[in-house]
Amino acid sequence: MSPLVLAAGGEGFTPPGPEDFWWPIVGSNTSNWTLTRPAVMVLLSVVLIGWFFLAATKRRSLVPGKLQFVGEGIYGFIREGIGRDLIGSKDFRRFLPLLFTQFTLILVNNVFGIIPFVQFPTMSRIGFPIGLTIITYLVFHAVGLRKKGVVGYLKDLVPPGLPSWIVPFIFLLEFVDKFITRPITLSLRLFANMFAGHLLLLVFILGAEHMILDLGPGFKVVGLLSAVLAVVMTFFELLVEVLQAYIFTLLTALYIGGALAEEH
Amino acid sequence: MSTPARKPPSDDGRDGPLEEARAWGITSYLLAGLLTFGGIGLLLDRWLGTTWLVLVGLLVGVGLAFYLIWFRYGTR
Repeated sequence: MSPLVLAAGGEGFTPPGPEDFWWPIVGSNTSNWTLTRPAVMVLLSVVLIGWFFLAATKRRSLVPGKLQFVGEGIYGFIREGIGRDLIGSKDFRRFLPLLFTQFTLILVNNVFGIIPFVQFPTMSRIGFPIGLTIITYLVFHAVGLRKKGVVGYLKDLVPPGLPSWIVPFIFLLEFVDKFITRPITLSLRLFANMFAGHLLLLVFILGAEHMILDLGPGFKVVGLLSAVLAVVMTFFELLVEVLQAYIFTLLTALYIGGALAEEH
Repeated sequence: MSTPARKPPSDDGRDGPLEEARAWGITSYLLAGLLTFGGIGLLLDRWLGTTWLVLVGLLVGVGLAFYLIWFRYGTR
């Protein structure tokens, strides 16, 4: 548990804040090379995902077992539900490894936020969403530039059929959208959802603990209510965590599909 | 989402993942409109010594972003 809980004992309540997201394991607070809890968790997630899908595909049979069923379900969902629909049946195959990896990695790391004993969403540290976004950003611009060339790619930013006086403005808008605000919104959406969700859980759980353990009988009732709400919010968080993994993958596919699409 | 049979991808994508993805992508257009034209307004304000061009820029930016979203996704 957080050291704040101990500090709060009898002394008044310290509300949770951004400092609750800093978890050094090896190394000092000031070093650039500190091994942190989210770093260990992301490595753990890679091991877990690798193990799961190796196990799920080890003994493949026509009538799938439980593991194979789940594994193929996730793959089919990414392939048919995201890849084929958003990138198009001609090109989508070569992007499936990227989409599949992004979805499973983000999903596991998000759901870590409510798994007992782990209970921390890796993506609430901004560096992880930024890293994933850089990959998406490089991939969708690279495939667009390779297919259309620099001039063709820039030309294709503007949809055809606009009144000609508005084209320069729309070009500027599209350019800023694709090169600046897309990576910002993509990484911030994932980060902020995980950060806010974890903070919300901390408020309800630490608040409940403080009110039940340290305060008078009237507060104990409110504290119980807060504890119940913490459970409700945990289920709500599960929804948000799955949804955010889905949205990130969905937008990566949309951006790749958009970069490849012929506007003319 | 509630359609019993899957629509073919050649459909305009309504109710499918394409429509959903576009909806999530709208944030980026709105932000781009505000930042770009609000920023131009701010720079013009600095240059000309006025104070109201930043507001005009923000409004124009949001307007253009809405227009583009409507043109891209609403008309085809």
